[in-house]
Amino acid sequence: MVIQLTPSPVVETADLKALRQKVRDFVAAELASGGFTPTINSWLGGWEPEFSRKLAAQGWLGMTIPKEYGGHGASFLERVVVTQELLAAGAPVSAHWVADRQIGPSLVKFGTEEQKQKLLPGIATGELFFGIGMSEPDAGSDLASVRTRGTKVDGGWKVTGSKVWTSGAHASDYFFVLARTAPLDAAHRHEGLSQFIVDLHAPGVEVRPIISLNGGHHFNEVFLEDVFVPDDMVLGTIGDGWHQVTSELSYERSGSERFLSTLPMLEEIRQAMSRGDIPVDPELGRYFARIMALHQTSLAVAGALSRGEEVGTPASIVKVLGTTTEGDIAELAMMVPGAASAAASLDTLRRYSDQALLERAGFTLRGGTNEVLRGVIARGLGLR
Amino acid sequence: MSENAQLDADLAELFDDVFGTWREGRGSATLELDLDRALWATLDETGISRLTAVDGAGASWVEAAGLLGAAARAAAPLPIAENDLLSGWLREQAGIEDDGLLHSAAELDGAGAANAVPWASQVDRITLLWPAGSGWKVADVATSELTITPRRDLAGQPRDAVKADLSALEGRDVSAEVAREYRLRGALARAVQMNAAMGRMVELAVEHATSRVQFGRPIGKFQAVQNLIADAAAEVAISGSAADAAVLLAASGQADLDRLELSVAVARSVAGHAASTVVRNVHQVHGAIGTTFEHQLHEFSKPVLAWRSEFGSVREWDSLLSEKLVASDESLWSFGVETDG
Repeated sequence: MVIQLTPSPVVETADLKALRQKVRDFVAAELASGGFTPTINSWLGGWEPEFSRKLAAQGWLGMTIPKEYGGHGASFLERVVVTQELLAAGAPVSAHWVADRQIGPSLVKFGTEEQKQKLLPGIATGELFFGIGMSEPDAGSDLASVRTRGTKVDGGWKVTGSKVWTSGAHASDYFFVLARTAPLDAAHRHEGLSQFIVDLHAPGVEVRPIISLNGGHHFNEVFLEDVFVPDDMVLGTIGDGWHQVTSELSYERSGSERFLSTLPMLEEIRQAMSRGDIPVDPELGRYFARIMALHQTSLAVAGALSRGEEVGTPASIVKVLGTTTEGDIAELAMMVPGAASAAASLDTLRRYSDQALLERAGFTLRGGTNEVLRGVIARGLGLR
Repeated sequence: MSENAQLDADLAELFDDVFGTWREGRGSATLELDLDRALWATLDETGISRLTAVDGAGASWVEAAGLLGAAARAAAPLPIAENDLLSGWLREQAGIEDDGLLHSAAELDGAGAANAVPWASQVDRITLLWPAGSGWKVADVATSELTITPRRDLAGQPRDAVKADLSALEGRDVSAEVAREYRLRGALARAVQMNAAMGRMVELAVEHATSRVQFGRPIGKFQAVQNLIADAAAEVAISGSAADAAVLLAASGQADLDRLELSVAVARSVAGHAASTVVRNVHQVHGAIGTTFEHQLHEFSKPVLAWRSEFGSVREWDSLLSEKLVASDESLWSFGVETDG
């Protein structure tokens, strides 16, 4: 038996490198002019619509959306390069993150002509923000057990149920709701699920904040009570929801946000060592190497995805090791002396490490827990 | 679109055939790994014993890494890296003609000594590299002209003490860059070998977990066992990606030494740390049978542990990266992910 674990490596072309440098220059200019303050976990916590629109003006939102729908017809790898540079800098990208990463591609793939014309241009301009309505109070890792129900009515569907962990629902326009439209068949649990595009301001929708342990607010619970969804806002095919939801998972799992969430902290550690504020330690090199290896793997997965190859296993590998690594970087806080005993020049590092330590618990949960993903890897290896 | 660089499928198949056939007919494993001259003759006849020779096959690091990996996956005791990527390359740098004999290579100290030269006691000639004044010298010497004291590493591979009489040697001058690149080539070769052997270990873990039945089912059905294998496979995957990147950079022939050093250091750091998880987990999955000489697992786990400490320890690579990062004016992300060249 021969197991091929990683897709063939990608070497960046001159065009990709030029694009990378262009984003770097943009980020440097923004930092110099106070355009944003870098944060840890900036793709979940950094909600700044104005910054999103600045990116849109550069053509860096909805990059892979075809031009006829207001996008830029760029390649998947071009989007990877742009998002990497923004994440590495801790730029506030969460407002458009969900729309740009998965709503846009899902609409391109499964949406009707009318839906594409209505929604895609707003995604590319940073005017329309989206949330995801997958998890429920009783359906977390076991997504097929969703109870939110869609019932056929004249001209559309009535949707009733509740969704949790919907990031940014309080500030978004729509969210994609996974609902059961046929009774659960225990032998075929993945059948009878459908996706609806739900207006978060429609009658019957109530958004309640879920406050995180650090006091932050990005998660919400969304209650749906007989919310009317017209037929033309059904995504894809009724009954095909499971296939539609899972088809985008490899994009979600292998992305750079799975290993770059704490990179600003590692960079600040490097600078503190350069200044002599903390001793130079081999752990810096160790985690740098790990980030670079994850970067190479993620890029290889991106290349394979753009060639249409099956990448479930390596995508899960990026997420398991990437999210563990960004959490381990948070633990490098143990190198950082407390405020009472150290130079003021360590204030930024302390801010990052406080953020990282308090948010790391979520790293290995969101987008599929690492325990579920190890199961995916095991299946890929033929163990299940 | 990005270009992809991958080993040609036909060539990969040829490599696997050569070592697969050898392994089927080789008899039992041995504690001491002696150079297999018959297998070497097969490589010679097949034209793959000196792949990167400028005047010969003219292949690149991509093909050389493919061959090295195939040999490591079969636990074939051959000085492929030493003969081709180290000695052959050194001789080309020094303008010494190829003689078709079997070579190893060694970096000597100023007194002409080296402590652990791979395969020294079992090859025909050794290409020596040593510091002389402000520069470096290279000479290619028959093993009969050297004092060689046989030693072995923990895997049973020959790692012999070598002593040369430098005053009697007519060395050819090479630059300090040659000495530096020599070490990086050796380090990269070991990363490639480690990854290939670790990949084989994960395969053995899967084979064992799907065939070994306990509590009425294959042990691979237990999540605890699945997790051990999944974590090992994940480490091998990212370690392989890092080595792929370094191999491609070396194959491009366009990287300056600082850039190559960075890429090799990343590959060696990741491979070194991966080895801890992979060796531990794969042995754990195998249970007690994996600790025996009878089972083949040690043919892969022992070399991984031996190679990990050659051409630089894990800590040395981590520290080197730390020092480079701290000394740089660039952010670590810009330092690692370049936009020029």
